[in-house]
Amino acid sequence: MNMKCRKSYRDLLVNPGKTFLAILALVLGIGGIGTILVSYTILTHDLNANFQCTQPAHVVFQSEQFDKLNLNEFIQIPEVEIAEFRDFSLHRIEVRKNEWIPLWLYGVESFEKYQVAQVFYESGLSKPSQGSMLIERDGLKASDITMGGSPRIRIGSRTMEISVTGICFDPAQAPATQDAFIYAYTDKDTYHKVTGLPVNQRLLVRLNEVSSGEDVTKKVEKIKQAFQASGINLTSVYIPKFNEHPHQWQLNTLLFLIGTIGLLAFFMGVVLVSQLMRSILASQVRQIGILKSLGGSRFQVLQIYLIMLLIIGIISGIIAIPLAVKAGIAFSSFIAGILNFNILTFSLPVYVYISLITSSIMLPILLSFPILWKSTSVSVKDALNDYGINGVQNIGEFKLLRNWSLSESFILASRNAFRNSRRLSVTIFSMALGAAIFSTGFNVRQSLWDLLEGVKNEMRYDVQVVLKSQIDEEHALMPFKSIDNVKMIESWIGGRGEIQSRLLSTDKGAGIVALPADTKLLKLKVTSGRWLSVESGNEIVMNQQAWNLYRKPEIGSSVTLLLGNKCVSKKVVGIIEEFDKAKIYIDLEQYNTLFNPQRLVNSLMFVAKDKEYSGILKLKREIESAIVSSDLDVLYVMSQSERVKIIYDHLNIILTIILLLSFLVLVVSGVGMTSATSINIGERTREIGVMRAIGATPKKIYKIFVNEGMIISCLSIILGLILSFPLSKLAGVFFGNLILGDGAKLKYAFSLVGFIITILITALFGFLASTLPARRAIKIPTHKALSYE
Amino acid sequence: MKETIIELRGVSKIFHSRERDYTALKRIDLNIKKGEYIAIVGKSGSGKSTLLNMITGIDHPSAGTILVNGTEISGLTESKLALWRGKNVGIVFQFFQLVPTLTIKENLLLAMEFVGEIPSSQRSKRVHELLEKVGILQHMDKMPSGLSGGEQQRAAIARALSNDPSIIIADEPTGNLDSKTAASIHKLFQSLVTEGKTLIVVTHEKEANLRYHRIVTLTDGEILNQKTEKELL
Repeated sequence: MNMKCRKSYRDLLVNPGKTFLAILALVLGIGGIGTILVSYTILTHDLNANFQCTQPAHVVFQSEQFDKLNLNEFIQIPEVEIAEFRDFSLHRIEVRKNEWIPLWLYGVESFEKYQVAQVFYESGLSKPSQGSMLIERDGLKASDITMGGSPRIRIGSRTMEISVTGICFDPAQAPATQDAFIYAYTDKDTYHKVTGLPVNQRLLVRLNEVSSGEDVTKKVEKIKQAFQASGINLTSVYIPKFNEHPHQWQLNTLLFLIGTIGLLAFFMGVVLVSQLMRSILASQVRQIGILKSLGGSRFQVLQIYLIMLLIIGIISGIIAIPLAVKAGIAFSSFIAGILNFNILTFSLPVYVYISLITSSIMLPILLSFPILWKSTSVSVKDALNDYGINGVQNIGEFKLLRNWSLSESFILASRNAFRNSRRLSVTIFSMALGAAIFSTGFNVRQSLWDLLEGVKNEMRYDVQVVLKSQIDEEHALMPFKSIDNVKMIESWIGGRGEIQSRLLSTDKGAGIVALPADTKLLKLKVTSGRWLSVESGNEIVMNQQAWNLYRKPEIGSSVTLLLGNKCVSKKVVGIIEEFDKAKIYIDLEQYNTLFNPQRLVNSLMFVAKDKEYSGILKLKREIESAIVSSDLDVLYVMSQSERVKIIYDHLNIILTIILLLSFLVLVVSGVGMTSATSINIGERTREIGVMRAIGATPKKIYKIFVNEGMIISCLSIILGLILSFPLSKLAGVFFGNLILGDGAKLKYAFSLVGFIITILITALFGFLASTLPARRAIKIPTHKALSYE
Repeated sequence: MKETIIELRGVSKIFHSRERDYTALKRIDLNIKKGEYIAIVGKSGSGKSTLLNMITGIDHPSAGTILVNGTEISGLTESKLALWRGKNVGIVFQFFQLVPTLTIKENLLLAMEFVGEIPSSQRSKRVHELLEKVGILQHMDKMPSGLSGGEQQRAAIARALSNDPSIIIADEPTGNLDSKTAASIHKLFQSLVTEGKTLIVVTHEKEANLRYHRIVTLTDGEILNQKTEKELL
């Protein structure tokens, strides 16, 4: 080995602390970005690959007249690639004793040969025996249903048991656990027998040569004309998002978040590595002079430090790359578990490894090159005259501190903290950024929690029963008359049964909710205009999503409301903020007069006497029990707590990851601070000797350094918390857009818990960052400290 | 008549600072012949080290010319100067300045590797010869911190001789050593002079006058006097 290599690696060995920190910083940086790269590579590919391998339908047609359709001829239409009947109906299934959730039941043409929307075998039978069903695997997580069991299902007014003979996997569906559904699949005969519904009324179609949603729309128009020509009237046409999994938005958000925060962690790792290189070079300036005096050219000296960085990079890469790959795969598996898809990428593309290896080797060199270039340009004379940190520059006399009668050691610590203003700014800024992101994570979480609390407060009913069809109010209320824990029941009606959570509805258009204008059970926040009035009547209120959907009509303007075959003109009087899909609110009396002369209802809003959580759950169970004994055909029964939980579950994964990643940023900042303090102390070893020589005890010196660290921590916390305010606002806009729709933003919320945790963790990091190098510094004997160069 | 190896003509050095300009050397004229053993003496701040920095190319003059071994060094770039220095000048520092993370042998090998004058195959042999010459062969695989001050200075001298330079420049080489060790170092220097090396030593030691061929005394950046061996006697 040549002497330059030997010097490089010995220099690394002689400073194990700094070398360890440099490697740790790089491992964190490369590990962080590597994990993201690996998971990004897997997730961007695999969710879509899972989705695509099902051969998803481009369009779903529904008609009661498909008996006129010759499927073989239909498939010959140039626009059509393949088509298959797959009937579908919505029922309810008992997942635990008196606990029912929606059941999405499909009647499958052939379990042996799927043409469109394939479902994959997991366990049990691949084709359910007559009278039994397959259950989608994700639904098992949210229920006590097991293979071989026979859960009760409620179809219309009938309750029956159907055995589960197999478990399947349907990666094209939204995850059942998040939306609290169960997906089940039966053969057509069973479907018909169990539901009593006609079959072959829902046609899944894959189209030829489509590369965008527009292509699909154009070809669907042509197919609709073909249906019309064949005398087939369609009852609905549903075009799902082109080639996109229903929860792709959630994955995209996650990828965006982890990408952003990962890059930030990486950036901070980068700052840290360059800081450490600066520190290593700072202690070697005199040696650079000696090397040059021996005849070493700048390039030769540069080589020594480049080799040093290469060694650091290789070691970091050896540690970080396998960790990043493992962490990336683990993270992807975690997400795959939540979004219910299988990991298909078993070997990562070569470019991932090349990128990681190149990053490990080249990044420390590229990042530290400016410092190396500058340090090796020092003249022999300047290098030989270097004695480390310079004096205090332009910081005044700290008169204020003196006025406060602070101890000399605190004043000295304050001065020391400000000695290298550039390093101080980098340290404070990176630490503050870590604290700001960490605190923002908590604030956004608080904003979402407030939003959900708002939902609870706005919707003052406790349990909602939504019927599949509109029925007479007296008939609807009859089964519940004997339930004791009911304070009141209010009946509402909704157009097309779309008044419920967007999580249950996939159709386009806005739901119509007809409710008493003076209802006490709904107090939504009016963002513009006003709520419905009892007197004027001829008016509507839209939620933000509906307002956006209908191109933001002016308050006071008239819009035409189409319901069934009736068209009426209504005045928009207000916009409300609501965590739901597009909805239009109208006074019940008006609605009944115009569209519902029989005064039918389809939603029952229950208010419990006992408002405790247990009381509401008990009420829900009693309602479920009453439904089982009645002839009511119920779409779903949901308590507000469950509703909030479902919404929260959708967002919880995002929030958890924000907090985890922001904690990572804070850890990297903490390591950065440790390195900066270590550099500060290292540069002042001679000063420590002088202080010791004039009588400073190790305890006093230790106190000075710890005070210094705490001063930096305090400044970082203050700046971090100030920064967290605009950051939280920005995050509010991002999440608001994501959750509430275009233009909406989450209200800024201050999280006291987050505030306290941020302060405690930042202060703890500050303390550790200063106490560790300070303990080491005070162990150096005075004579060694004095002769330190 | 011996040939001149170092020639300084009207060399001045002014250090500029915000408060004031400070003249460290004032129009110095100095000729040093090949094989001469010269001491540069003077009080602290007299300009001795600055003069040494001029001769080694560590610092550049504000005015005047410096010819060393026929090369006008003030015109060389930093990189060329480093190579020139490695080939022509061996520097011995007061605090030895050995690379602390390399063994004694490796310190010498590094200096040879930088300059590349000695073929790789001969370097190890030359290290042995040089360390034997300075009397620390047995310590060649030790780290500098494992050696006494005198031994470290011997190692530094051996390193200065690594590339066989014709000029050795020592900045207070015995300032950090006890008198007995200092005497042994001077003895080593004298043997180098006998071998034909030109040796320039910056020193405070007045009592050691008799060792040198010439003593140049500096005061306030000017040569106060130059006493030859005969004059000293």
